[in-house]
Amino acid sequence: MEYGVSRAEEGQEVSVTVFVRDELGMHARPAARLAQAARRYRSRIILEYEDMTADAKSVLDILFLAAGRGAPLTLRCAGEDAREAAEVLEALFNEE
Amino acid sequence: MARAVLHGIVVSTGIAIGKGFFVNKNPESARHELVPLDRIESEAARLQDAVDTVAAEFAEARARLPGDLRRHADVLTSHLLICTDPRLGGEALRRVREQRMNAEWALEESVARIADIFNALSSPYIRDRIEDVRLVTDRLFQRLSGACAPHPTGGERGILLAHDLTPTDVVDLPIERIAAFAVAQGGGTSHTGLLARSLHIPAVIGVFGLRKEIFDGDLLIVDGLKGKLLVDPSEAELAAYSDLREQYAIYRKRVAAYAVHPAETEDGVQVSVLANVESAAEAEGVLSAGGEGVGLVRTEFGYITRSSLPGEEDLYEEYAGLAAALAPRKVTFRTLDVGGDKVFSRGKVSEEANPALGLRGIRYCVRHQDIFRTQLRAILRAGAHGNVSMMFPLISGLSELRLAKSILNEAKQELDDADVPFDPHIPVGIMIELPSAVFMADALAREVDFFSIGTNDLIQYTLGADRGNRHVAHLYQPLHPSIVRAIKQVVDMAHKTGISVCVCGEMASDPYCLPILLGMPVDELSLAPQSIPAIKHLIRRSHARQSRKLLDQALFASTANAINNMVRQAVHSAFPEDVGFFVSQLGVNR
Repeated sequence: MEYGVSRAEEGQEVSVTVFVRDELGMHARPAARLAQAARRYRSRIILEYEDMTADAKSVLDILFLAAGRGAPLTLRCAGEDAREAAEVLEALFNEE
Repeated sequence: MARAVLHGIVVSTGIAIGKGFFVNKNPESARHELVPLDRIESEAARLQDAVDTVAAEFAEARARLPGDLRRHADVLTSHLLICTDPRLGGEALRRVREQRMNAEWALEESVARIADIFNALSSPYIRDRIEDVRLVTDRLFQRLSGACAPHPTGGERGILLAHDLTPTDVVDLPIERIAAFAVAQGGGTSHTGLLARSLHIPAVIGVFGLRKEIFDGDLLIVDGLKGKLLVDPSEAELAAYSDLREQYAIYRKRVAAYAVHPAETEDGVQVSVLANVESAAEAEGVLSAGGEGVGLVRTEFGYITRSSLPGEEDLYEEYAGLAAALAPRKVTFRTLDVGGDKVFSRGKVSEEANPALGLRGIRYCVRHQDIFRTQLRAILRAGAHGNVSMMFPLISGLSELRLAKSILNEAKQELDDADVPFDPHIPVGIMIELPSAVFMADALAREVDFFSIGTNDLIQYTLGADRGNRHVAHLYQPLHPSIVRAIKQVVDMAHKTGISVCVCGEMASDPYCLPILLGMPVDELSLAPQSIPAIKHLIRRSHARQSRKLLDQALFASTANAINNMVRQAVHSAFPEDVGFFVSQLGVNR
């Protein structure tokens, strides 16, 4: 794998570092895909980029990050289904 | 007597009677109020309900999409996500509860905050998404105003009322249940007319007082001949109009029977009757209405109905399809005529203090040459599939024409270099819409293949009066002596140089203008397909020589009134039974 992953597990909180792969950055379509997927989980899911945080269930919040191609994002999931959420969302970033 | 009589502009003819129902009301009029403490929860519920319902509508629309429309499904998904986004509805709910704002106000505030953040972003791809947020919010506003259920009661067809109709609104209308359209907005709603004409139902736009005078469920008569809307009509009016509706249907049937035959006056002068269209979808309608070709393709439609600028291939496909469907009949494309009253969503025209005198028509195209070239190449390539001509709108003089033609020549060169098939000898004409073009008609005629007179703009620019402005609408006189003389001068100059003249404004379908135009004589008339059978019917019973005499008299007249009286007398004695079934701009029908 050509991208770096760091994982720290503290009880029910899982965090993963992912990278924006889309050429246009985190634009409408990938943002929608992410928010749609995030909403399937009950965990609280947060994206961190530079000094900003976004609610991953809000497509608008994700867009506000204006993360360009290659930007490193920290995905933090907290809650009962945090682990599954982190795995599925991480996989989303690795799809073409 | 009806409770109220409203007036508007007819964009599709006919008579309809039915109950009115609003599909959207002006969202700008959202009220701002502080909600009393004991009503906060019900206000929050009202907002939540709107969000849930609109979200369900998006989901349902997505479920109904056929599989090959995946891209559209993505758009609907993103709208659904925005609709249910915590930043939008959630924030608004918080404002209702914490700041006691009413739902509309709270929603407006949420959108304003979102817009602030978007505006600060540097990526245009992302910044433009604010348009999606607005689109979703508009629907929420509509839902909140309780105006979203476009369903006339019972099995009867209803009269659709709207502040404005956008192509998006039109997509999900229950078409089979609409008997007529009445729209408050005047300009930029050409698709209302287009849709209505293709459905053969009347449509009136620019209706003043629509919102104030009509409530959902009111009984209405739409007089799509005189441009009137009768609210709560009396028994006598209902009887008279249902009679008229029947007679009109009979008349339409009678003239349609001869539609496909040529139009020749009693004394043997043949006039070409062509159609004005907006899209390739109308080709079949042109033929069945007896159109001998297309005198005006309003190409704007292919731009305003798309959310982004169309590419050369999109346009080429559409244009070639129209040319091929009508070959060997001619199809005349007017190059993009945006600016002024025509909304253009993507290549947004900047705010101008005086748009009618601003960056519109050919001026817009020579300023945005990339857009212009793309279209020119598409038209040239369509020329390989049929009998295609093109014309430039709003030409004010020779240098503008020469500039446009030089860009056209470059486009030809590019196609030639790339070995792309096209018609190198495509006839090129201009629209005569400005008084300056009338004065320069002799010089212009030497450098083009034909003239097409756009009478709506020519009248507006010559008399300096906007027909949509009720304070000066009475000055908008199609048969003002200055207009009659201007057209005469253009026709004379064209014929002297050996080029033809088409009239493609509303005058071409006005029975009172017909003898004047026949008298000129203009070579071609181009009008809405719907009006072709009836105009052909009148031409067949006209006399070219008598029309010439009438025109000569009109050229000596010094007021619009004098000419109106002349033509009224002539037309009423020649076609006493027909005139009631026509739309006229003259006001002599009323």
